[in-house]
Amino acid sequence: MTHKTALRMVAASVALALAGVSGAALAAKVPAGVQLSPKQELVRNNGSETETLDPAIAESVGANNLTRDLFEGLTATDADGKVVPGVAETWKQKDPTTWVFNLRKNAKWSDGTPVTADDFVYGWQRFLDPKTASPYASTYGTFVLNGLEVAEGKKKPAELGIKALDKYTLEVKTPYPVAFLPDVVSNLNLGPVPKAAVEKYGKDWTKPGKMVSNGAFVLKDWQVNSKVVLEKNPQYWDAKNVQLTRVTYLPVEDGYADVKLFQSGENDWVYQLPPGTYDKYKAEFPKDIRNAPMLGLRYYSFNNKDPLLKDVRVRKALSMVIDRDILAKKITADGQVPAYGVIVRGTSGADVTTYDWASWPMAKRVEEARKLLAAAGVKPGTKIKFTYNTSEYHKKMAIFAASEWKTKLGLDTQLENMEFKVLLKKRHDGDFQIARNGWVADYNDATTFLTLVQCKSDQNDNFNCNPKAEELIKQGNASQDAAKRKQLLTQAAKLVMEDYPMLPLLQYTVPRLVKSYVGGYSLKNPMDRYRSKDLYIIKH
Amino acid sequence: MWSYTFRRVLMTIPTLLLVITVCYLMLHATPGGPFDGERKVSAAVMANLQAKYHLDLPLWQQYLYYLKSLLQGDLGASFRYADWSVNDLVAKALPVSLTIGGGSLLISVLIGVLLGTVAALRQNSIVDYFVMLLGNVGSAFPSFVIGPVLILVFAIWLGWMPAGGWDGFDVRYMILPMALLTFINVSTIGRVMRGSLIEVLNSNFIRTARAKGLPLRTIVVRHALKPALLPVVSVIGPLAISSITSAVVTESVFSLPGLGKLIVNGASNRDYTLVLGLVVLVTVVAVLLNLLVDLAYALLDPKIRY
Repeated sequence: MTHKTALRMVAASVALALAGVSGAALAAKVPAGVQLSPKQELVRNNGSETETLDPAIAESVGANNLTRDLFEGLTATDADGKVVPGVAETWKQKDPTTWVFNLRKNAKWSDGTPVTADDFVYGWQRFLDPKTASPYASTYGTFVLNGLEVAEGKKKPAELGIKALDKYTLEVKTPYPVAFLPDVVSNLNLGPVPKAAVEKYGKDWTKPGKMVSNGAFVLKDWQVNSKVVLEKNPQYWDAKNVQLTRVTYLPVEDGYADVKLFQSGENDWVYQLPPGTYDKYKAEFPKDIRNAPMLGLRYYSFNNKDPLLKDVRVRKALSMVIDRDILAKKITADGQVPAYGVIVRGTSGADVTTYDWASWPMAKRVEEARKLLAAAGVKPGTKIKFTYNTSEYHKKMAIFAASEWKTKLGLDTQLENMEFKVLLKKRHDGDFQIARNGWVADYNDATTFLTLVQCKSDQNDNFNCNPKAEELIKQGNASQDAAKRKQLLTQAAKLVMEDYPMLPLLQYTVPRLVKSYVGGYSLKNPMDRYRSKDLYIIKH
Repeated sequence: MWSYTFRRVLMTIPTLLLVITVCYLMLHATPGGPFDGERKVSAAVMANLQAKYHLDLPLWQQYLYYLKSLLQGDLGASFRYADWSVNDLVAKALPVSLTIGGGSLLISVLIGVLLGTVAALRQNSIVDYFVMLLGNVGSAFPSFVIGPVLILVFAIWLGWMPAGGWDGFDVRYMILPMALLTFINVSTIGRVMRGSLIEVLNSNFIRTARAKGLPLRTIVVRHALKPALLPVVSVIGPLAISSITSAVVTESVFSLPGLGKLIVNGASNRDYTLVLGLVVLVTVVAVLLNLLVDLAYALLDPKIRY
């Protein structure tokens, strides 16, 4: 589950882009009347040991949390998920595929040298260079002219669509109109990289004492599997609006150990509550519990090539009878929202779609589903196989689904659990009938979710393809009119879901405990990306 | 004895080679690779990643490549932790595991032998019942139950100790995990020592010593202790391996940056080089410990000669 990065508010960013926003500092605004603690230090658990501190190859949520504090891209996203100026003060879409970013002149690296357009050119070229082998190269490379060709080694990094017009002006070319580019570039894979440090230290440039960074914080200490300590960067252009002086990231994986550290006061921020404990901790820590939906979808992949499941009537019947309300309220019981489409609430660039039958009474849904199965020639007692990775959480959901299919349709589900990596292999190889799946948005635009159901997409584990929907997506992406684009993408999402390629279940939430004295934590952050820059410690 | 030791050390080489080969093949036969994730990377990116870590070569070439760097003392680059080499990772985790595991083992041997001896000498006394109770509790309750209870009492209720984590070699972070490992090890060592000493005390040569009129103290210290320690020495080998290299549960409960966590994460991430590196380490430790145990036998039992 690599929820990473960037993009938000397409409409807003388009508007900003066209207007050419002015870059006021928008960080850690402490509301009037809030008294700050004299000690501005935060300890936040990061869920696991980061795989790297090199922004070019960062992939996991945890690594991106860290690089987001250490580095700053052209833009950034604030606590509410809005795109705000980063190193770029203003930007403008010169023509449909050309953007110009004007960099602030007071942005500095932690060694005091200025951050220039060349640092971005170097950072982007390095990110897409096949030698760097960044896992995200194709995810973001697709938005930059020649990006994919460079990642594939067919073109040289120098041919990438990014150019320093002068020391503080950057020109970016896209292969097609990318309305949400300001959102994409807030992601640190596309951040600046200090060439001098990389060339001097090689792979070791990310180590304490060697790293040079341009974010609100600098690297102080890194003890593998124990902690990463950041300190406020006095050279940061907006340092006066950074309240925290020290941020310690912990790599605790065990959810219960995480909560115990929270209880004993050694951790201010539980990464994510252990499954099934939301109600318990909500009652125990009413002031500290924080839970909000984010841009993520829990779903089950149907193998559309399977002899039984290639019939759309069977897939539809299986989807219809799952009672998402009971699943959300009684089974997972952690505030998740029922989902009936591939797009989740809060996503920019398309509306949430649903099925007609979602509002029907369950009896009617069951009756219809039975008719569909009968028409498809599937008799009660037919066996289906459900594959998931070993976890109490997934098991509970799987048992619920199997019981729905058994009691309502008379189908016998064989549950098969396995290690995560084995499931991934089976899913990618199409060696399954129905498999657990999940997706967390990389950027806030409908296209990140549409990749799950698009023809020949790397992320499509269902092996479905709807050429008409594909055409609509293409038209939408080519359109410069935000409203038209939204309409086309919504239409595409609706159309492809009428094929029932997969079974949408729930929209993710991130239930966690954050000490009530941690200020600046917003529940309106759809990407679950919290810069420490926006946080502060309230007097307590 | 020296030639015996030398031969044993020499035998380590084929053992290691066999272990590495089997482990290597098993890792590569396991479904799923190091770069498979919920988000599938594109074919081009996968090719780049594989080229970066030499996974694009035929398996036998990769294997030879690995052996070659191993001979140079290089355990390779971690597939998961891109900024560190396996040598770095092991060098950081080993001292933690040695301190927690090795330290607790030393304490356990002292306490376990002492308690076991007292219990054997005072059979069916309060001390004996206590040792037996400890032994049973230690065996019956898994560490993932005792650990959280220790945290609840000493970290959350009393607030004397941190609930977990690691900070340099700050002693406060060591106490609870060491207490847990010590408790579990003492329960085994104490039980074995008690049983073994009782058996020895009932043997003929002890009866002879008693008949000679030797005081109990001399009998125990000079005659009974050595043979009674033999079974204890035998269990110390496996206990040391489990305390130092695979204290996975303890490390997880107390969020410690030790070897156990590294090996489990390495396996689930398909971090081939990291797992292999740790397997090499564990094998060497196991072989050496077994050698030490065998040499200790010779010290304790005059009948054993190498």
